Amino acid sequence: MNGKAANIVLLVSGVLALSVDALAHHGAAAYNTQATVEVAGKVTQFEFINPHVLIYMSVTGEDGSTTEWSGEITSPNRLARSERSTVRWSKDLLQIGDEIVLIGNPARNGAPSLRLLEVVDSDGRGLLGSDYWSERR
Amino acid sequence: MSKPMIVWAAVYVAAVYSPTIQSQSVGHGADFSGVWSQDRGAQPERFRNHAFTEELPPMTEWAQERFDQSKPTFGPRNVPVLETNDPVYECFPPGTPRVYLHPFPMEIVQTSDRVLMVFEYDHLIRQIYIDGREHRTDLAPMWMGDSIGHWEGDVLVVETVNFNDKTWTDRRGVPHSDQLRVIERIRRISDENLQIDITIEDPVAFTEPWVGTRIYRAVDWDVEEFICMDNVNFEAFEREVLNYDGGVN
Repeated sequence: MNGKAANIVLLVSGVLALSVDALAHHGAAAYNTQATVEVAGKVTQFEFINPHVLIYMSVTGEDGSTTEWSGEITSPNRLARSERSTVRWSKDLLQIGDEIVLIGNPARNGAPSLRLLEVVDSDGRGLLGSDYWSERR
Repeated sequence: MSKPMIVWAAVYVAAVYSPTIQSQSVGHGADFSGVWSQDRGAQPERFRNHAFTEELPPMTEWAQERFDQSKPTFGPRNVPVLETNDPVYECFPPGTPRVYLHPFPMEIVQTSDRVLMVFEYDHLIRQIYIDGREHRTDLAPMWMGDSIGHWEGDVLVVETVNFNDKTWTDRRGVPHSDQLRVIERIRRISDENLQIDITIEDPVAFTEPWVGTRIYRAVDWDVEEFICMDNVNFEAFEREVLNYDGGVN
């Protein structure tokens, strides 16, 4: 990671509402499920694909450098059915350039990647409807 | 349409629309038709996304040795997908009853001679014959087993045998042998809920029968596409994460 990303907040939290079953296809070995990170940035890529939806975004640090963060979440079918969300997801839900916040468990090895627990859109709406975000507002 | 899709569609259409064999099943039966999803509200415990019981089953030395060699992506010994030896990540079927642990809906379609479970997970179809036949003895060992059912009142009792020994019984790496025998008792416990009581027997792998329960809820969803081969998308993503070099290069 080049530079220090200003828009990153590290939170150590307990068990979150979505953490039990946020991922359908595999466990969370690559991620620290005891920690939660919030990162704000602009969407660079949104892949509404199986087995997991992937979100990439550009984060600008205090020194002006940029880092690309990524996040993974459950399958598009489950998101389209609103199984784990209050919003029906689709491939058009996020657009390149959208200002969003990704909240999730960080990668154990320090990679700028998250096992997502919440995605907050530019209107401040939690797209996964997590208790974690709704209670923060 | 891809080849697997064509095969799946053909089996599904044939099952639903073909002339059915006259039923010879006993008991009066019940209607389980519809799409069902695991009821996480009724069974919220964390272990249920990867196991039937919180405790490990009573394993024989044979099974313990294989369990110790397994590298699951779930449970306390979990590893990343790129390091697992779980057969499902090679797109082999998960087996019975493990298929219930994959968190996707299934549709139950009933004809007079069969109860079909159409799983969203990799478009697997399980055929449970209720026409009074015996288990076939001319088939090769199977990934999902050979399922025969009969009605006991409004409970569908299913016996599944003739497995190969290549699948795991759950997502935490508990093995089984080709002597696996699975007994399911499937019944409605309310207008909205279906309960499946599962007894797992395997004298080679377990020192005594092992019992679990899954509760499903009726949903108004369609069974959608979830193809295992798409795993390559995630493996590429995980490779990027695990190979992260600190942003130096």
